[in-house]
Amino acid sequence: MMQSDEKYDDLTALFEAQDEALQNEAFVEQVMKPIYKRSRWRTPLLFGAGGLGLGAALSQMGGLLDLLTARALAVELQFEPVDMTLTQSILAEPLWAAAIAMVVLSCAAIIATERA
Amino acid sequence: MKSDLDLAREAASGQEAAFETLVRRYQGNVRGLTRRLTAHAAEADDVAQTAFLTAWRKIGSYRGGSFKSWLCTIAYREFLQARRRQKPEVTFDESAHIIGFDASAARLPEQLDLDRALRTLPENQRICVVLCVASGMSHSEASEATGFPLGTVKSHVNRGVAALRKQLASDHVA
Repeated sequence: MMQSDEKYDDLTALFEAQDEALQNEAFVEQVMKPIYKRSRWRTPLLFGAGGLGLGAALSQMGGLLDLLTARALAVELQFEPVDMTLTQSILAEPLWAAAIAMVVLSCAAIIATERA
Repeated sequence: MKSDLDLAREAASGQEAAFETLVRRYQGNVRGLTRRLTAHAAEADDVAQTAFLTAWRKIGSYRGGSFKSWLCTIAYREFLQARRRQKPEVTFDESAHIIGFDASAARLPEQLDLDRALRTLPENQRICVVLCVASGMSHSEASEATGFPLGTVKSHVNRGVAALRKQLASDHVA
């Protein structure tokens, strides 16, 4: 490890003795307290936000299926031009906007709390 | 006993207990380093704690090699940041929480001499001696951490060690 031109093991031994005397369980607890505290809310937050997003999305499944069924019938009858943009469609159904916001929030929470 | 690399990998996957083992293993080294750099026990412990929290956030970037050197580099950078944040005037913080240590073991006469001798060194020399001699970093690791050229680090260490020895010898004679 050391690439010294000069040996200084005697001094290193003195410093190591000082370091050894600094061992203290209270310091370990002080360091780990915020880490454990953060992990306590991190998991419920992620699962909570994810669950809400999933719930909101699932609640729209019935409507989506109805819409698809109706569209499928319409496709059989005639080709209709799409008269609504994606944004308009989302704005027409506020719950979709909420579901998308939840997913974005969940992703942001994961990114924010994830370590490098 | 698990290696530092194994524990770091476990910590990177979110296992706090693995990181706690690393904290327990290296707390003495990091606290010793910050005390030698700051010369104030309470401030040193604050810097050491911040360094461990930074290490926890960055544990995924540890790719092997000496974990102690990786940690000491973080602690040194936290010391620099803390010093930049410091106000020009020094105030006494009565609420500061100082974690005690085994005074009987830590305050042997030669160690008091060592602390005193270390404080007599010019700052850059002291930093290089602390990183290389006390914390066991290689000259190149210390050069990378401090931004000093490699030759400067070697020169500071050699001069610092010589000055420390001279000071300790004179204390011993006196």
